Amino acid sequence: MYADLLNALPDVFSLANFAAVVIGVIAGIVVGAMPGLSATMAISVLVPFTFGLEPLVALGLMAGIYNGAMYGGAIPAVLLRIPGTPAAVATTFDGYPMAQKGEGGFALQVAVVSSAFGGVASAFALMLLAPPLSKVTLLFGPSEVFWVAIFGLASIIFLLGGNPVKGLISACFGVFVSVVGSDPIYGNDRFTFGQLEMLDGINIVILLVGLYALPPVIDLLETPLKTDGVKSSKLGTEPIWKALPRMKSYWKTWVRGSFIGIWIGILPGAGGSMAAFMSYNEARRASNTPETWGEGEPEGVAAAEVANNADTASALIPALTLGIPGTAVAAVMLGGLLVHGLQPGPMLFRDNPDIVFGFMWQFLFGAILLVVLGGSLATNSFARLLNLPRPLLGSVIIVLMLIGVYSIHGRMFDVYLMLGFGAIGWVMDRLKFPLPPVVLGLILGGFAEENLRLALRIGRGDPMVLFQNTTSLILVALTIAVIVGPSLKKRFTGKGKAQ
Amino acid sequence: MKKTLTALALALTATTALADYPEKPIEVVVGYSAGGGTDVMARTVAQFLEQELGDGASVVVKNMPGAGGQIGFTEVAQADADGYTLGTFNLPAALALTHDRDADYGLNSYTYLANFVEDPNTITVAANSPYQTLDELLEAARTDPGAITVGLSALGGNDHFGANMMAAAAGAEFTLVPFKGASMARTAIMGGHVAAGTMTLGQTTAFPDELRVLAVLADERSSFRPEVPTAKELGYDVKMSSLRGFVAPAGLDAATAETLRAALSAVNENPDFQATMAEQGNPIAFMLGEAFAATAAEQDAVAARIWAESPWK
Repeated sequence: MYADLLNALPDVFSLANFAAVVIGVIAGIVVGAMPGLSATMAISVLVPFTFGLEPLVALGLMAGIYNGAMYGGAIPAVLLRIPGTPAAVATTFDGYPMAQKGEGGFALQVAVVSSAFGGVASAFALMLLAPPLSKVTLLFGPSEVFWVAIFGLASIIFLLGGNPVKGLISACFGVFVSVVGSDPIYGNDRFTFGQLEMLDGINIVILLVGLYALPPVIDLLETPLKTDGVKSSKLGTEPIWKALPRMKSYWKTWVRGSFIGIWIGILPGAGGSMAAFMSYNEARRASNTPETWGEGEPEGVAAAEVANNADTASALIPALTLGIPGTAVAAVMLGGLLVHGLQPGPMLFRDNPDIVFGFMWQFLFGAILLVVLGGSLATNSFARLLNLPRPLLGSVIIVLMLIGVYSIHGRMFDVYLMLGFGAIGWVMDRLKFPLPPVVLGLILGGFAEENLRLALRIGRGDPMVLFQNTTSLILVALTIAVIVGPSLKKRFTGKGKAQ
Repeated sequence: MKKTLTALALALTATTALADYPEKPIEVVVGYSAGGGTDVMARTVAQFLEQELGDGASVVVKNMPGAGGQIGFTEVAQADADGYTLGTFNLPAALALTHDRDADYGLNSYTYLANFVEDPNTITVAANSPYQTLDELLEAARTDPGAITVGLSALGGNDHFGANMMAAAAGAEFTLVPFKGASMARTAIMGGHVAAGTMTLGQTTAFPDELRVLAVLADERSSFRPEVPTAKELGYDVKMSSLRGFVAPAGLDAATAETLRAALSAVNENPDFQATMAEQGNPIAFMLGEAFAATAAEQDAVAARIWAESPWK
């Protein structure tokens, strides 16, 4: 197998194949940076065109876009508190406060280096450990996946700090949105009001753009006509190699975040946003100064960005070996493989090693290229956006939002839905309800429901089926720890102080 | 006189229009996303169809995914029957969903052009499953009704119908577990989370060492896996498969339909096309016009019967 891996390398460096990765990364960063445009969408648009391309050119473009977009989402997250992709929500926590303090440039550099680190780690996992890791995926049946979803929801509600009651209410709203559409087992319509457009549920991008992009734009438009106080000179446009030494101390966070991202990636469905949240939580818990997190701690950006890139290549492990994509993007990429007659499964590695391993190399180089292309692109071009007069910037973002949401299915219905979510987001923002639980509620809620119902069917209605194996029990224990942990810790340390 | 002239003029325009067909791009509506099995088939056929129609003909695939294909099927049914909107058609799924919900189309909404793919369903277990033969599995399902869990890609599709028909034929009872898609069901079988599955043969081919196919639900053994017996040989006359073909809206004029059918037949006879389809793991079962329409009617009846006996929602 390792011989195959090396044999695939020379082809990756042919002009067309390498250029595809470069173009893909640039396109991915641009797409990721635009609120409403996601990697999933970019790759879906690309798939039909790949019919006429050589397999590695097509796959290189996809690998590049995927890597680029996962970082690109951080750019508006840092500069405007608008996550460009669902996975960049956690990047806003510390990235935006850094930008307000005039450290936006450094935040973007931390993001790009962390993204690259996560991407490289993930690519290595894909290259070297795909077959054994796919065995781990097999361990996760409906009841285990149900507990992963519950664990994820508990983490976001209780660990993110702030008010857990408000967090719970936000999460419930997200879970409610996940209920809309046809139910996962029987296909009965729920809350669709007879609209065929609602039958497939509410696309995460519509919710994300509405909730996250509209309120900041309203803020932008509310302020009187003036350019932002943050000048690009103050963004910290020092060359990236000069910024690198300042990131030395993040290596633990990078390693931890990579493990979390890779692990989440091999589980079907959860994806980059859950990875980023978990990595952020864990890094903050391990930090000596947890109180600075959320107020512009660069390590927070590092934790979120390393994890949301670390799940990219690893999400392809179940996709390539079992045909089950770990993320929505991986699902679309599977389509791109199918177009070239590449059927997922163990045979794929035996029958087409040149292409499969070549694709993995392209992931690796895509991640490395991020530092070169992302570093200069981000600091030199996108960051200058902040110099635009605020009403102009706000209008540009609104146009991008409308185009992005419209282009998901090509219908105005989604645009109105997005504006509705925008109104809800604005109210929630004013009332200090946290928005991240809504996003995870939508992602994990549907996932939890579907798998709970499948598990109960398998158990013929007996709920004990949820506690029947070790993997499930470990996840139950972790969930309990997340829920009662913080209050126990408070009580424990409180006592210590009293004595 | 005036009338005859008009008629003559009309006839003339009709023939010239016909002679020129296609004079603009032909759109093929696919009710699933780009890169899915149906989409890949549509694009492969489209590419060869352009050659066969000749004269710089252009065939464009348009994806309209959503609601289990319903959005795309409805689009084709309601399009003008002018030969410029065609669609891919999946059986039994497309007609099954006209029974479980109010769909704006039905069996008679289409002109059936040609079916290309037929992928038979199977009864499959994991390679490490204790059940070595179909009879052992069915015996277990008879002794403890419901103890055998069967993973499906969804309710109301060929996987589901195959499982129901098998259970009825064997006097057994399965617990049906509808996953989101065939690959999720397959993974659950491989991971031992469900006991068996009814996925199509095409979905088992990439996993020869991980899965054991106990029987094919077809009249004849498949040339892809000749060692696997049919259910019929084993004493259960059960037949179910997934079909993918091309339709046009109902009321397409006979001449255009003939042109399209002739071109699609020529596509099927092209050895390059056959090779491409084999590479994609698509078993070809070419059926033209009437034969395809008859199969659709047959599938519709099966769906109607199962819906009446055991509605799934």
